[in-house]
Amino acid sequence: MTTLTAVSEVEFSTLRDNLNVSDSVLSKHLAALAEIHYINSRKGVHLGRRTTWISLTSTGGKALSEHVAVLRELIAGVE
Amino acid sequence: MENMSGSPTPEEAAAALAGAEASRTSLARRLVVPSFFSISIGTAIAVQIATTAVGVADVGHRGVWNPAGWLMASGLVALAAVATIQLIRFRRLNGLWLGGFASRVVGGTAAAASLSYALTFGAAIWAAFAGAWWLVGLCSVVGGMAYAMSGRRWVRIYRGEPAAHARGESAAWLAAVGVLALAGLVFLMIGR
Repeated sequence: MTTLTAVSEVEFSTLRDNLNVSDSVLSKHLAALAEIHYINSRKGVHLGRRTTWISLTSTGGKALSEHVAVLRELIAGVE
Repeated sequence: MENMSGSPTPEEAAAALAGAEASRTSLARRLVVPSFFSISIGTAIAVQIATTAVGVADVGHRGVWNPAGWLMASGLVALAAVATIQLIRFRRLNGLWLGGFASRVVGGTAAAASLSYALTFGAAIWAAFAGAWWLVGLCSVVGGMAYAMSGRRWVRIYRGEPAAHARGESAAWLAAVGVLALAGLVFLMIGR
């Protein structure tokens, strides 16, 4: 999800290659995130073939910020 | 965002944040600008400034559909065509869409691009009315170069801080600016 904050929308294979994960692993995670409305996914075309375009929703962005804040608090607690 | 069961240790939290940040930075650094991007956008802006300045200053013709009107329209169409082609190439090349790139680099909403454009556009129109054609050319070239350089600067800034610069202005804001720009151009064309 952090990766999605760097773009407005990203194509499935670009995200897969950047995260260095398999198609199935990424699909599974994206489906879970889409179900709770953290990401949007839509069918589209890239380089002449059908693919999926993914973007972070405002709900997802907010949840990510909160999650990062909690992690930072945890880290700060030991410093 | 990792789905962690239970509370992570500080070390795990630090590792999760570092991993996520590395992945985001990696994507931002992979970003490739299409070949001849700066030169084509800069040239299109220079042509648009020059054609509009020359067209506006042509007081020999009234109305819109005359040689001066066509000249202005051709500059705008050329700019729109170059911008559209480069955005399509950018999307195809990178496999992603970046609102910040579209609005700030191509649309020129970055502070440096909009300021330099306004200054050189105004100066070019003034020079055209004064009949100083060499100055029209100079202002156009400077305007195009400044616009292109502002774009290059934005890409550098984006790579350093991708999350803060990825999204561009809202569609409503861009539409409002577009309507204002169009109204200004129509006013210039009709009011000649």
